[in-house]
Amino acid sequence: MESPQRILAQGSRISTVAPLQGDVFPGKGAEDLWVRCSNLTFAMQILETLHARRSFHQVPWVSLLALSVLLFAFHEAWSGCLALLIALGSFLSIRSLLVDVDRAVAQKKKLDQQLIQSQKLASVGELSSGIAHEINNPLAIIGQEIEWVKHLLKEDEASQGSNSTELSDSFREIARQVDRCKEITHKLLDFARKSEPLVQHTDLNRLVEDMARLVDREAVLKQIQIVRAYQADLPFVQTDGPLLRQVVLNLLTNAVFAIGENGTITVETRNSGRNAVEVLVKDTGCGIPQEDLGKIFDPFFTTKPQGQGTGLGLSICHGIVTRLGGEIQVESELQKGSVFKIRLPIESKKGEALE
Amino acid sequence: MTVSPKVLIVDDEERFRTTLCKLLVVKGVDAKAVGSGKEALKELDSNPYDVVLLDVKMPEMNGIEALAELKKAHRTVEVIMLTGHASVDVAVEIMRLGGYEYLLKPCPVDELLLKIEAAAERKMAREERLRKAEEARGA
Repeated sequence: MESPQRILAQGSRISTVAPLQGDVFPGKGAEDLWVRCSNLTFAMQILETLHARRSFHQVPWVSLLALSVLLFAFHEAWSGCLALLIALGSFLSIRSLLVDVDRAVAQKKKLDQQLIQSQKLASVGELSSGIAHEINNPLAIIGQEIEWVKHLLKEDEASQGSNSTELSDSFREIARQVDRCKEITHKLLDFARKSEPLVQHTDLNRLVEDMARLVDREAVLKQIQIVRAYQADLPFVQTDGPLLRQVVLNLLTNAVFAIGENGTITVETRNSGRNAVEVLVKDTGCGIPQEDLGKIFDPFFTTKPQGQGTGLGLSICHGIVTRLGGEIQVESELQKGSVFKIRLPIESKKGEALE
Repeated sequence: MTVSPKVLIVDDEERFRTTLCKLLVVKGVDAKAVGSGKEALKELDSNPYDVVLLDVKMPEMNGIEALAELKKAHRTVEVIMLTGHASVDVAVEIMRLGGYEYLLKPCPVDELLLKIEAAAERKMAREERLRKAEEARGA
């Protein structure tokens, strides 16, 4: 077997053999042939460049163009014109076809991303419910032991020294950490829950307003204004109210967190047409870096400091909105703010209807 | 509550049931702990209880099976299910079988105590109603 280096060396030698020289075709002058060969090489170059740029879609009209160049070179003016016309026709039709192809490719890419996201969420869901179960049992024991030790310490209060104060303090800390783990495992179980949503006629404006009021108090304390922009004649939506409430509340608390202090949250509802409604939560907060935008719906992805967030909120939101037959999107600009958009069908196709 | 409720803890995890038992006893609950569904059925046959705290995931007889058996023989006893793994299917099954409450571990003892008291009160109210109905039938 020849080594790759050797083959490469051969390849470079072969390439130096061209262009053709001398009287290869008898009866034709070398000069004439050279002109024709240059035309052919030129046509091939066009073909190759375009081929590399836009794959096979360009082949039909480019080959026709090359053919017409060839025909002109061989002084076949009429056939050349005809080939040129056909080339032009196919170029135009392929261009319009390509617009459709581009659109289809973009749509496919979006769907692929959604599929990957839902597959990721589903596998994490399955895994997490198992983990949560296994972790909750030891947590329960740790929690109870702490309560028991606390009880014992209280009993020994008469002989209280500096040690028992320290012991109480460290047990309080263990209890706090158990609560933290508990919060994660309970959220994981919520996340893994696969029950079908219970669908009811829901007044979306009212639902959103209820959640906005919940956040109002905290917002006022942080000098954050919540601006309401509800569409007055919004149709009732067939959806699972409690699930949707969870999503809206999560987006609102995230917005408060993103702003920190001094800013505006705009909550908007609108009929987006095509049998769908939208809820938008805009904030004037810190924004999300471009490189994180693709990850924010991933489970456990968080930018909050250690211990302040589980990184499950938005992935739960994504899971819920998908289960409700809708979609959730985000747009963000650093230091300017983010917009979360939930799009929901007015008539739900999923879930069990409640009368 | 005037009378301390009698509570039976059923959990295969030894440390969980013994510590919970001690914690409930110091809070004034008359509690006892056993390690399996079968032991629980045997214990209920020989002693009366107001509330049973039942773990869902146990070897041999799981909590759901134990609940079904236990409710057949002791209709008025209230059962609080404790589990590390909550799912709507399990919750629905528990309610269907007559379980009183369904709690996710880890659950603070004070919270559990409130549930136990509410369950015991409900049990007494049901027994009272049954007694009155029988009196009315007798009269």
